[in-house]
Amino acid sequence: MIKCVIWDIDNTLLAGTYLEAASQPPPPDQGLLAVARELDGRGIVHALASKNPAEAADYVARATGLPFAAAECGWGRKSEAIGRIIGDLGLAADAVAFVDDDMLERAEVAAALPEVLVLTPEDAAEAVSWPVFSPAVITAEGRRRGQMYAQRRRRQEEARAFGGSRDDFLRDAGTEVLIAPAGPADLPRLHELSVRTHQFNTGTEPVTQDRLAAALADDDQRLTAVWLRDRFGDDGLVGGALTEPGWTVSRLVMSCRALGRGVLDALLAALCQQAAAGGAAELRVPCLITDRNVPLRLALAAAGFRAPASAAAPADPGQPVLFTRRLDGPLPVLPDWATVRERP
Amino acid sequence: MTSDEVLSQLRSILAGVTARPEVAAIAPETALFGPEVGLDSLTGTLLLVEVQQRFGVDVAAEDLNLDSLATLATLADFIISQITSHA
Repeated sequence: MIKCVIWDIDNTLLAGTYLEAASQPPPPDQGLLAVARELDGRGIVHALASKNPAEAADYVARATGLPFAAAECGWGRKSEAIGRIIGDLGLAADAVAFVDDDMLERAEVAAALPEVLVLTPEDAAEAVSWPVFSPAVITAEGRRRGQMYAQRRRRQEEARAFGGSRDDFLRDAGTEVLIAPAGPADLPRLHELSVRTHQFNTGTEPVTQDRLAAALADDDQRLTAVWLRDRFGDDGLVGGALTEPGWTVSRLVMSCRALGRGVLDALLAALCQQAAAGGAAELRVPCLITDRNVPLRLALAAAGFRAPASAAAPADPGQPVLFTRRLDGPLPVLPDWATVRERP
Repeated sequence: MTSDEVLSQLRSILAGVTARPEVAAIAPETALFGPEVGLDSLTGTLLLVEVQQRFGVDVAAEDLNLDSLATLATLADFIISQITSHA
């Protein structure tokens, strides 16, 4: 499934060449603009990679009205620009499409990044009907995804200019994390997170809406959801945890959009506090070890979770490793910008 | 590579990933997840990428529990032990 389309500018998103225009730069290509708007509505984000001055990206953003999650303008290799965008947005290469009218640019990217879907503008014009551009579930959060990445760019620019610690910046940004029991309306988004999230996901299989609904109906299971917003924007529902009897968190997910904003630390702290209040001696989080979810393991380590030493040898990659957090000592501290609402 | 060299390179990496110059002066026993450095998922991932590029040590693959990230000194020791064992 494609999550991000990276567009060339000249003779692709623009109906002409930016730098060759005598006075007014060329207008957007109306056909591709309609495609881009449709994909934006499906939760697919857009980015720019162009051999142009940085002003070209600002012009394209104004002329198209599209929210761009990232823009790389310069005269280096396109594959390197795309590599930076992929890294910056926390995407996998196979979740990215690249559209360029220039055959040599397409060939260079296809050779350097074989997992990227490389398209001509003509291909892209038909992309709306392709299955890889048609996610099965489109939630409210999904539809606003492009906008949220644009807000993220502004947040990151301010964070870079900010002098203090991460926590100082999160406070300055007016960060609010709400951790509360999920309701029926939250199930499509929680299912979507279980499918789309790789860096912060303790499993790899989708958690079906039926499974989530069963958890809601069962008093012995807890389905927790996490919402995030700050003065840059409202990210909506960004994470969740399914806690089964015996204080075992059978699935923990968080959107990579929330990376670096203290959300997972807050959720782990809240889960530990709930388990301790429920009389548990430890909280258990079975977690598949993948090469993509290292950030999740960092959050588990930071919150004091441990895996058995015997698991340190390369375990069966299909089997989860059980991380546990003892609850008899000091508990992880809930950051002051997080609020926990218990179930009624 | 001596322990002092590894410590000094790690301090500069940590100051870079946290974007806080004062982190370049931390003591070896400083807890990386504690308030002075405040390592989290984001800065921790950047640290591990830098460590892999500079020292050729893949901490996430070799240390399931990420115990080596306890303090600046434990991380330096881990890197030295990995470099030595693969030399």
